[in-house]
Amino acid sequence: MSTDPPASSIFPRTDWAELGKAGEADEARLDRLIRAYWAPLRIFLVATFPSLKDQADLLLQDFAEDKILKKGWLQRADHNRGKFRDFLKTSLRNFVLDRLNRVEARRPPLSLDEMPREPAAAEGPSEEFDLTWLRTVLARTLREMEEDCKNPSADQPRRGQIWEMFRIRLLEPLLNDTAPPPYEELIGRFGLRSPTDASNLLLSAKRIFKAHLGRVIQDYAGQDAATAVEIQSLEEFISRLAKRE
Amino acid sequence: MSEFDSAGAVFTRRPKSLAALMEGSAEQARLWRPEELGAIFRHQMAAPVLVDLGGYDAGAAVRLKKLSDAQSLLLKSFSDLFLHPAPPAELLELTKSFAKANMDNAESALPNEVAAALYYTSIAAALVRLDRRISKLGDADLRRGLLWTREQPWLDDPTRELLLQAAEKISPPGGKGAGAP
Repeated sequence: MSTDPPASSIFPRTDWAELGKAGEADEARLDRLIRAYWAPLRIFLVATFPSLKDQADLLLQDFAEDKILKKGWLQRADHNRGKFRDFLKTSLRNFVLDRLNRVEARRPPLSLDEMPREPAAAEGPSEEFDLTWLRTVLARTLREMEEDCKNPSADQPRRGQIWEMFRIRLLEPLLNDTAPPPYEELIGRFGLRSPTDASNLLLSAKRIFKAHLGRVIQDYAGQDAATAVEIQSLEEFISRLAKRE
Repeated sequence: MSEFDSAGAVFTRRPKSLAALMEGSAEQARLWRPEELGAIFRHQMAAPVLVDLGGYDAGAAVRLKKLSDAQSLLLKSFSDLFLHPAPPAELLELTKSFAKANMDNAESALPNEVAAALYYTSIAAALVRLDRRISKLGDADLRRGLLWTREQPWLDDPTRELLLQAAEKISPPGGKGAGAP
């Protein structure tokens, strides 16, 4: 079973023409978000309801169409913007439970021993969801930053060098747990005129990364304040996980 | 796209690496490692004076370039400036201000240790080459700063010597120093 979202819209049965212009923008945004975060949602669904593994993609698609597009859902999500991840998790869990209950109601009564048991949703699925969510956020951030830095029409000089500096000095050493190239090597490689020049290149890279991270998170978290809270929450979460390793 | 697929890598790395990425990419995280200070200082000393000072104070830099050109001073680098037998005082003062601004700034582009070395070396050059005090620091504080800088293991020998000469020009407690105002 694939962890990829459907190639086309996850709202294939939606008649976009019937939606108002504002609604269309909102739904299109949600479509994009759900597709982007399909993997963490699927992981959460399967981890919370292991017996539904084979139906996960179908359930997610139904969830996206029947729940997310339901009138008022988006407003409630917006109301909880700072907790968009939690809101999604709760909504998905309730949606699946509701489906299970409906299936159960159509069956003849079973004895207690015959009842299918789902493990209680504990920290595990939630943590796995958050970790995959963070990975998705970071991957999107890095992809967009690289594209931005390599965009020849960008007006900031040395944009390509900024990405290269970020990649070889921070990204690769941190992700591969290797030593970064020594300072002397950077001087020749980037034609650095002074330490200030070197630091400015690296600082620019960090600022561009931060701006893209903020943009990716703002896409689902909403206002600046909620985005800042979400960034802090993700930082605390990953730091907590790292300390347990 | 680069050879290293960083976006793909974040899906396979452990939380520790992701935490390091989040932490290391923060602006306030240290840019350079302590063992790189020597290389950074050498680079600073070899850097064109007008590149750094021009960015710090464009107006002053233009004046100083004219001054340097007029006097045919071969001030290509900070090292040239500090080792020149008669460096322009205004250029030393501008260097000191540039260094101090970097020392006082938490988001400075220069490591604090290197900025401090630049700061005390500019003061030392004025004391030794021009017999002039360009700092308002008291003798004890100035001597402490000069000697602290001299003790940094990553410093080069000519700078170390200049700092020692400057410290010797400052009078010991109760005495009279040659560079005293």
